[in-house]
Amino acid sequence: MNIVVAMKQIPDLQQIRIRNRKPVLDGVPSALGVIDKNALEAAVLLKEKQGGKVIVLSAGNEEVEETVKEALAAGADEAFLVLDDDLEGADGSTKAMVLAEAINKIEDVGLILFGEGSGDNYSGQVGSRVAELLGMPQAAYASSIEINDSSAVITRSLEDGDEILEVSLPVVVSVLGDINEPRIPSVTQILKAGRKPKEVLELEDLEINLTGLPEIMTVSNLAPETDRKQVKVASVEELLQALRTEGVI
Amino acid sequence: MNFNFTKEQSLLQAMARDFAEKRLEPIARQIDEENKIPDQIFAEMGELELFGIPIAEEYGGADGGYDGYVLVMEQIARVSGGVAMTLAAHTLGLGAIQKFGTEEQKQKYLPDACKGKTIASFAFTEPATGSDPKQLTSTAVKESDTYVLNGTKRFISNANQPGPCVVFARESESGEVTAFIVDKWCEGYSISEPWAKVGMKGGVLVDIYMENIKVPAENLLGKLGQGFPILLYGIALGKVGTATAALGGTLAALDEAVKYVKEKTHRGAPIAKFQAIQLKIADLKIKYETARWLCYRLGWLANDIKDPAAFAAEAALAKAFCGDNVVEAARIAMNAHGSYGLMKDYNIERILRDALIGPEIEGVADMQKMIVAGSVLKG
Ligand SMILES: Cc1cc2nc3c(=O)[nH]c(=O)nc-3n(C[C@H](O)[C@H](O)[C@H](O)COP(=O)(O)OP(=O)(O)OC[C@H]3O[C@@H](n4cnc5c(N)ncnc54)[C@H](O)[C@@H]3O)c2cc1C
Repeated sequence: MNIVVAMKQIPDLQQIRIRNRKPVLDGVPSALGVIDKNALEAAVLLKEKQGGKVIVLSAGNEEVEETVKEALAAGADEAFLVLDDDLEGADGSTKAMVLAEAINKIEDVGLILFGEGSGDNYSGQVGSRVAELLGMPQAAYASSIEINDSSAVITRSLEDGDEILEVSLPVVVSVLGDINEPRIPSVTQILKAGRKPKEVLELEDLEINLTGLPEIMTVSNLAPETDRKQVKVASVEELLQALRTEGVI
Repeated sequence: MNFNFTKEQSLLQAMARDFAEKRLEPIARQIDEENKIPDQIFAEMGELELFGIPIAEEYGGADGGYDGYVLVMEQIARVSGGVAMTLAAHTLGLGAIQKFGTEEQKQKYLPDACKGKTIASFAFTEPATGSDPKQLTSTAVKESDTYVLNGTKRFISNANQPGPCVVFARESESGEVTAFIVDKWCEGYSISEPWAKVGMKGGVLVDIYMENIKVPAENLLGKLGQGFPILLYGIALGKVGTATAALGGTLAALDEAVKYVKEKTHRGAPIAKFQAIQLKIADLKIKYETARWLCYRLGWLANDIKDPAAFAAEAALAKAFCGDNVVEAARIAMNAHGSYGLMKDYNIERILRDALIGPEIEGVADMQKMIVAGSVLKG
């Protein structure tokens, strides 16, 4: 049984500045989504127990071919990529369609993992859409995953408690950011990442045409400017009061 | 000309930074205070393959080149000078064995050392000589198929840890300086208490006492009488590590200063608003960037050394510059902290103590400059 991990290429969040309510992306290197890395780690841990392959799936522009090395270094065995520069502007429904079609081309898939939300937009909808398109059961916000012969036992951490589900395979699961701590890859894992098998498809291979499909354009972004508030306090009480006012505590 | 990193280089740098921040930073002060790196850290560095970055894969190394080594060393030295010094001395020893060792020697010593199961040393300095190799007094006397070594080696990094030690001694029959691989802790091997040094603590420095150590003849490194070329080549490679350890300290000084001047306020505004402070930040950035490109280039040059003398001059130049540079940078950063910088509550105090080591090791700064001048004026 193979595990597919869907990972999204995003700009390296630590290097983004916000100016005039817009993220400045020029010169910002690409990385993989932070929670997507938790999904990958979950997949690698499962694979280490029960075998099979971990296949990282990513759809995006040409740069993804380089960016995905990070996942191959961190334990993915193979990469399955759909590359098209127009995918950058595509919305969640289109991306889900592309990913679902790609998954149809991968053999013996038992588990499809997503992060609970992407590192940039965090809309958290692509996983559910893919499950729907593939007609598979899905479990979101997983804090643990166990695989038995033909089913998975998944703990979902919800606001007021945990829900434990037993779901038949194949299943789509999205994981929480605190499900695990992704491992630090070793030097040779990094250096050999580029030599792992990689299958690269274009939209045509999936018989998908983007014309007429909805696109997303960022008009304005409400992210705060990066300047600090510089609130001055004279005592611990004032500090506590200020933190309460900000809703931090 | 292309100054961009490959994806692999970016990932290597990110990995080292991640390891340094998550695993070393929380205990960096403890390492400094106890002059000891926890065993767990050695084990983790072994798993991440940090102990054999420029060593070929066939000998258990990661085959990441000296350019890869530089990227990792910088990030480790940014957080812990002691760990950096340990790694630098270890990689220096391995580099000499990789370059001059026989196939058997390489198979015997490199794989365990690359895993961090053993830690290597390189022992040249003696009580009576540091800068002047001609004064070497340790002896090696041939007795049938062994050499018997006697003498004292001073200030030897990692000599407390089991593993191979490249030792330089004068072979008595020929009178020629010759290199040997000694198994630390073999019979006749003993060490002093660790020296209580100013910085880079955790990197342990001891004297080695050699009393009739019997080294099998097959442990002669290179050829009889080839000691000086091995020493010069090995030390030149070693300077890739020490120059870059200084680079990491420079980055630490820059980072600490930037953090402090944004946090510390005067009359309600961060001191970063003062132009005099901004000049210090600019000086630190300039010092960091100049050292950085020297070190990256030196790592790249070390991957494929065609002319050892030319490389030795490059290494001396980078080491001379980076060694003094980190001391100046740490002073500037400490200045920006005012009196707080003198306190153990702030990292800059340790960064400055670590920095002081840079100019004095692997040949003091003036000796480096003499090598540089020699290469410029020759012919
Ligand atoms: C942290 C640390 C780690 C070390 N690790 C190792 C190690 O692993 N292996 C090892 O073998 N050694 C090691 N050493 C020793 C170190 O490399 C030597 O101390 C160094 O090379 C300088 O030698 P010295 O102290 O004998 O100085 P000296 O040679 O006595 O120099 C003293 C001063 O005299 C000047 N001087 C000397 N000769 C000349 C000359 N010909 N012309 C002009 N000026 C001159 C120098 O500029 C210097 O200022 C280590 C030292 C330290 C502090």
